[in-house]
Amino acid sequence: MRIGVFVCHCGSNIEGTVDTAEVSRIASDYPEVAFATDTMYACSEPGQDGIIEAIGEHKLDGVVVASCTPRMHEATFRNTLERAGLNPYMFEMANIREHVSWIGKDREANTNKAADLVRMAVEKLRRNRPLTPKEFDINRRVLVIGGGVAGIQAALDCADAGLEVIMVERESTIGGKMAKLDKTFPTVDCSSCILGPRMVEVAQHPNITLHAYSEVDGVSGYVGNFSVKIKKKARYVDWNKCTGCGECVEKCPSRKAPNTFDELIGPGRAINIPFPQAIPKKATINADYCIRLTKGKCGACEKVCPAGAIDFDQQDEIISEEVGAVVAATGYDLFDWTVYEEYGGGRYPDVITSLQYERLLSASGPTGGHVKRPSDGKEPKNVVFIQCVGSRDKSVDRPYCSGFCCMYTAKQAILTKDHIPDSTSYVFYMDIRAPGKLYDEFTRRAMEEYGAQYIRGRVGMVYPDGKGNLTVRGADTLLGKQVEIQADLVVLAVGVESAKNSPQLAEKLRISYDKYGFFMEGHPKLKPCETNTAGVYLAGACQGPKDIPASVAQGSAAASKVIGLFSKKKLKSDPQTALVDIKRCIGCGKCVLTCPFGAIKETDFRGQPKAEVIETVCQGCGICSSTCPQGAIQLRHFTDNQILAEVEAICRF
Amino acid sequence: MMLDQLKETIKTALPELDFVMGWTTGYDPLHATPLYMYEPDDVDQLIWGPLNVHNLAVHLPALRHKKVGIVVKGCDSRSVVELLQENLIDRENVVIFGAPCNGVVDMTKIRKAVPDAHFARSVETADNSLTITTDKDTHTLSLAEVMADKCTRCRFPNAVEADHFVGEKRIPAVETDPYADLESFESQGFAERRDFWMAEMDRCIRCYACRNACPLCVCRDHCVAQSREPHWVSQRDGVRDKFMFQVIHAIHMAGRCTECGECERACPMDIPVLLLKRKLGNVIHDLFDYDAGLDAEARPPLLAFKLEEDSIKEKDW
Repeated sequence: MRIGVFVCHCGSNIEGTVDTAEVSRIASDYPEVAFATDTMYACSEPGQDGIIEAIGEHKLDGVVVASCTPRMHEATFRNTLERAGLNPYMFEMANIREHVSWIGKDREANTNKAADLVRMAVEKLRRNRPLTPKEFDINRRVLVIGGGVAGIQAALDCADAGLEVIMVERESTIGGKMAKLDKTFPTVDCSSCILGPRMVEVAQHPNITLHAYSEVDGVSGYVGNFSVKIKKKARYVDWNKCTGCGECVEKCPSRKAPNTFDELIGPGRAINIPFPQAIPKKATINADYCIRLTKGKCGACEKVCPAGAIDFDQQDEIISEEVGAVVAATGYDLFDWTVYEEYGGGRYPDVITSLQYERLLSASGPTGGHVKRPSDGKEPKNVVFIQCVGSRDKSVDRPYCSGFCCMYTAKQAILTKDHIPDSTSYVFYMDIRAPGKLYDEFTRRAMEEYGAQYIRGRVGMVYPDGKGNLTVRGADTLLGKQVEIQADLVVLAVGVESAKNSPQLAEKLRISYDKYGFFMEGHPKLKPCETNTAGVYLAGACQGPKDIPASVAQGSAAASKVIGLFSKKKLKSDPQTALVDIKRCIGCGKCVLTCPFGAIKETDFRGQPKAEVIETVCQGCGICSSTCPQGAIQLRHFTDNQILAEVEAICRF
Repeated sequence: MMLDQLKETIKTALPELDFVMGWTTGYDPLHATPLYMYEPDDVDQLIWGPLNVHNLAVHLPALRHKKVGIVVKGCDSRSVVELLQENLIDRENVVIFGAPCNGVVDMTKIRKAVPDAHFARSVETADNSLTITTDKDTHTLSLAEVMADKCTRCRFPNAVEADHFVGEKRIPAVETDPYADLESFESQGFAERRDFWMAEMDRCIRCYACRNACPLCVCRDHCVAQSREPHWVSQRDGVRDKFMFQVIHAIHMAGRCTECGECERACPMDIPVLLLKRKLGNVIHDLFDYDAGLDAEARPPLLAFKLEEDSIKEKDW
């Protein structure tokens, strides 16, 4: 084999701490290296042209580029090789930027390490064989997980483009957090008035199938051909018969059930329709609180239901759907505000969360839009807002900014004044973050036109003053003194955390997630809605805190990615898959059991059981090859021999 | 008499089978050897007792296409179960004859107790003793004195799986595996333990008897120790290479090894290689609460892909 080695400067990124000329000089002595050089930017057009030229001039059969991470440019250089007429898999990359130049300053040590990494790549490349990808068909259906505003946007955009959409929503209605909001900033238009029509569109769109009150149970397969198991949770109501009339809710005697849509401040029932505009507008029984299901008595709903839709024998049901792409739009959850004991959340009824306050403001909320204190139903005159409850606070492991609390607090201060003209709002803030279009103007309006009193500082303590009100004691860091405010109501602007069970969903989708449970994008700047798993895209706050415009934008972006993916006639599979040596295989089937992708099956070969890899399903993870005791199953381009050659290259001394 | 009963059972089952494996007296009365019973007459040579040291399960994977019977002690039956679990043999092709085991002898211990054991003329076995008559002398040894170490901690003297069980079930010596041997070994310092192994492994002659006797060493012609493709272990006879092989062997056995002790029994140099396997068995037991070879339906923990192990908390959810 004739190998060419190209050592990239990456400007000063690598050249700054690695002697690239020396690395290429050392590399020219490695076995089978016919040509070695350093180059300014290997990935640039002249850089790639230089590689193509050298391939022709030196009759190279394989290329090693020592530069940055293969995640960034492996595909680039594979294309370069293809353009030069070589098999794109006769290429290896040595990462001397992330693995060398960026992590150490000792130029001599770095140069030696870079040379070692290049030697490993050369030794691996010497054992590479040309590979050819297989082509496979795409199932042009898309799964959208989560029916919040981001998921709705993604689903509608895909459906309008003619794709068949399967939407799975955990709750019994779509709409997500936005449906719970009264008004939206900075336009102060009615949330359900703008979201409602989109929800109806989802229900009515011929291309969208909605599975509400359902969860993704398992995902297998690969880009273009995912197989999804969806658990339709038992709702104890036949939704085909239920008309959403609400008779049953009226008659239900179980009133202790939590009303999750009203954030636990409204009265709940064991059988429930979340809100008047719910999609689908169907009743669901909460099995934990239903007297019939827990004690075997009652059954009032069954008696009154004019449609005969109540079905106490319903069971969870698992259905399968085949899709080609997945959009995760699972949104967020609120930080558990009771962690801040000094604020009294959970102890004092008049300390509530911003989302609970939102329900008090909403005309469809438990108070019909009248702001009333939970303790005695009185109209509050002094409302204190405390910001950054569970945001930007290392002590509760939430160092990140939740992004939209400054804005919704300003909105709520404005709305409070609208509802109760003689009220005063106090906002304790750390600093105001209002970078969106018309956002800063909006917060200024809250202060200047609506007279919200903004106090820069944290609240130390909230305690009852004994006369039915609360005393809020905090610091005013601009005045440099302690302040005390008598409050009728305290609203905690709780921060954002990842939706419950999102790590588990990420594992099912085989995508990465950060330490807070938010899903990881493919690249923080250039691939904001892709994941590192092909065919899985992100929309909305499941990727990180986002407000409505950003969620909607990302929903559309994810949809455009799906549409782009599906516009291809066929997809190509990565040929770096596992391969069974039939002579070595003893048919024990251990690989079949361990393969997380179901890519290996048992076949019969002349009467003997043997393993067989389904190439388009294999993801090249290598679990099978480390399981196989006799090394009969090998990962192409990561064979035991190649790994051993790399180890020996680096352990020569 | 239990042996007669066992013979009768085998004779009855034999017409349905290609053959049945058991033990018979070998080249001298002290050493048993495997017996292949094809005809009812062959069955008369069968013996049962503390000299039946071999674990005959080692032959089963190669006999996969035949319908064979196998006589097992408790520990042997665990190897059979493990082979079934790993799909290396077919349940419908194996007929298991189990009997209660009272422990088997350790030939090394006998050689120490009876220096002229090589010249054994006759051996009489009773329930708890063994009388060896050599050219010069007659020695009566208590079974406890010369019993293999594994039998002193035996939890399963009766076959865990058997189609035909003959005789009365015995009560196990212990209920849970006492890892006292391991604890006392590990109480030493690193240097002592390293020196111990270096000295032991230095005596290894790389004969691979340990591997060949192991019922779960199933890689056959592609053993990592001899493969040149890839060339994991060199052919040098240095202590490092020899130790490397033992470590690979032990790790391949983690969660699969039933601690039948065949590796150690077969070792002509008396290297205590079972200790390595017991260490890993102990780790697997602690991590996964799993004992190999008890349930044919179970899956060895290291051969299963699980996102989140119950006892290994990688994430806090």
